[in-house]
Amino acid sequence: MNQKKSSSIIITVMLSIGAAISFFPIYLAIINSFKTQGQMFESFVSLPTSISFDNYVNAFKQINLLNSTLNSVVISVLGIGGIVFCASLAGYKLSRTSGKVSSIIFFLFIASMLVPFHSIMIPLTRMAKALHVQGTTYGLAIIYIGLGVNMAVFLYHGFVKSIPRELEEAAQIDGCNEYQTFFRIIFPLLVPITVTIAILDFLWIWNDFLLPLLMLTDVENYTLILSTNTLFGEYNKEWSLILAALVLTAIPVVIIYSFFQKFIMHGIAEGAIKG
Amino acid sequence: MPVKSYKKYISLFTFIGPAFILYAIFLLIPTLGGMYYSFTDWNGLNRDYDFIGLGNFIEALKEDPDFVSSIFFTLKYVLFMVVLQNVFALLLAVFIESRKRTKGFFRTIFFMPNMISTIISAFMWTFVFAQVIPQIAEKTAISFLDQAWIGDPKVSFFSILTVSLWNGVGYMMIIYLAGLQGVPQSLKEAAVIDGASAFQTFRNVTLPMITHAITICFFLTLNGAFKVFEVVYGLTGGGPGRSTQVITMNIYEEAFSNNFRYGYASAKSVILFVIILIFTLIQIQVMKKKELEA
Repeated sequence: MNQKKSSSIIITVMLSIGAAISFFPIYLAIINSFKTQGQMFESFVSLPTSISFDNYVNAFKQINLLNSTLNSVVISVLGIGGIVFCASLAGYKLSRTSGKVSSIIFFLFIASMLVPFHSIMIPLTRMAKALHVQGTTYGLAIIYIGLGVNMAVFLYHGFVKSIPRELEEAAQIDGCNEYQTFFRIIFPLLVPITVTIAILDFLWIWNDFLLPLLMLTDVENYTLILSTNTLFGEYNKEWSLILAALVLTAIPVVIIYSFFQKFIMHGIAEGAIKG
Repeated sequence: MPVKSYKKYISLFTFIGPAFILYAIFLLIPTLGGMYYSFTDWNGLNRDYDFIGLGNFIEALKEDPDFVSSIFFTLKYVLFMVVLQNVFALLLAVFIESRKRTKGFFRTIFFMPNMISTIISAFMWTFVFAQVIPQIAEKTAISFLDQAWIGDPKVSFFSILTVSLWNGVGYMMIIYLAGLQGVPQSLKEAAVIDGASAFQTFRNVTLPMITHAITICFFLTLNGAFKVFEVVYGLTGGGPGRSTQVITMNIYEEAFSNNFRYGYASAKSVILFVIILIFTLIQIQVMKKKELEA
């Protein structure tokens, strides 16, 4: 029994050390963002002697925080909303229809799940230009729908199988047409998998870097990540400013995480196991 | 009957149409288009281009040392990442799962880096590697710390790994944690009663029960590691020179900042796709067999 206790303490100690190492960069970013450039170079590790918010005020302006955050929100919300809407309809119908056409379409959706983004970025950029969806937040959201539906269709397709068909038949007898049946009866039952999909897509879209970099040309439309990237390129020696910007960029995610922690953990595990 | 089947197609179209059209425009057609252009000498600007067969592929693999070395650099990175990311994630998951009161706390701490965008993580670590560690090295005179963490390609490979692991382990840890929670407590207790040590219990009871989670995590890490871009972009930019350039970056450079050889860059994209496809299929085959045995 004593041995068990001591090994338990060892594990706790190891986890604590690991946690400290893991948290160290975040700690450094936070404490140094409150220092002036001079204070910082005296020692990076020590706590600031006086707290100054100058870096934050400066970074707030430089990355155009409100506007960038708004852009990120618009792109994420439209993208996720679009994916959920399109994919739930398609996943449901594909799951309920047997026949060649439907299985070919389903196969086409899944077959592309292995295609790496980097393999399509060149033709995709051309396509976006040709269709005039390049350069706007709305356009970018539409592209996210196109890139995200395959995974979501796959997840909905699997989930719909667990819903008994009798429900639809009952609704039809009660006089619902196909669309009413879907939106009133089926869609509410899809909520668990919808939450999973929304979370996975949020983590992807909010944190994505390369696609916005290729699609957004105007600073006005930049996402939070892109604005910070630009700042990093322009002020690459002013670390106190950059760190403040990094912290500001991370704050929304931390807030969302603290609210939805359970859902996020569940969503990741669920998405992985179904995928 | 014809009226009915006509109706059936209308309903099929209204349900599937929106998803399929967007999917076709932004994913399917670009995929096929990229494959098509990989056989041409299209430069992205001219209207006309010629078919040059496998010319691009031969050039990429034979006459482009930068591309070939980026493949090898990526393969090395993939090997380290797949092994280390899974080992760390599984270890953390097992340790955290065994905690009672501190479970939630540790899970949050180790998962947090995953919530931060990869590119932001890379910037954060650039600060650590370029500023903080050199200062600590200077003050404490620990010679191990006194290295060019970003400047020397031999060392920066490990810097890149560190950031990727820091950023990526949490996600896999969550999947392993979910897998571990599915292992019935009674089985573990039975093993303990039969006199198995903690390690034996883990090796013979827990591990076979979570093979599905292991397969998934290997699949995700393998796929993710081949597509690495942001960490390298943010940390070393592929440099010094092209010494830490990964495949995706080589493609990016070829297509968007070099001489716009779209056909040639497309060929490289196809090579990347084929490499990922081969490795993934092998991995799934091997793991599926293992899963059946278990």
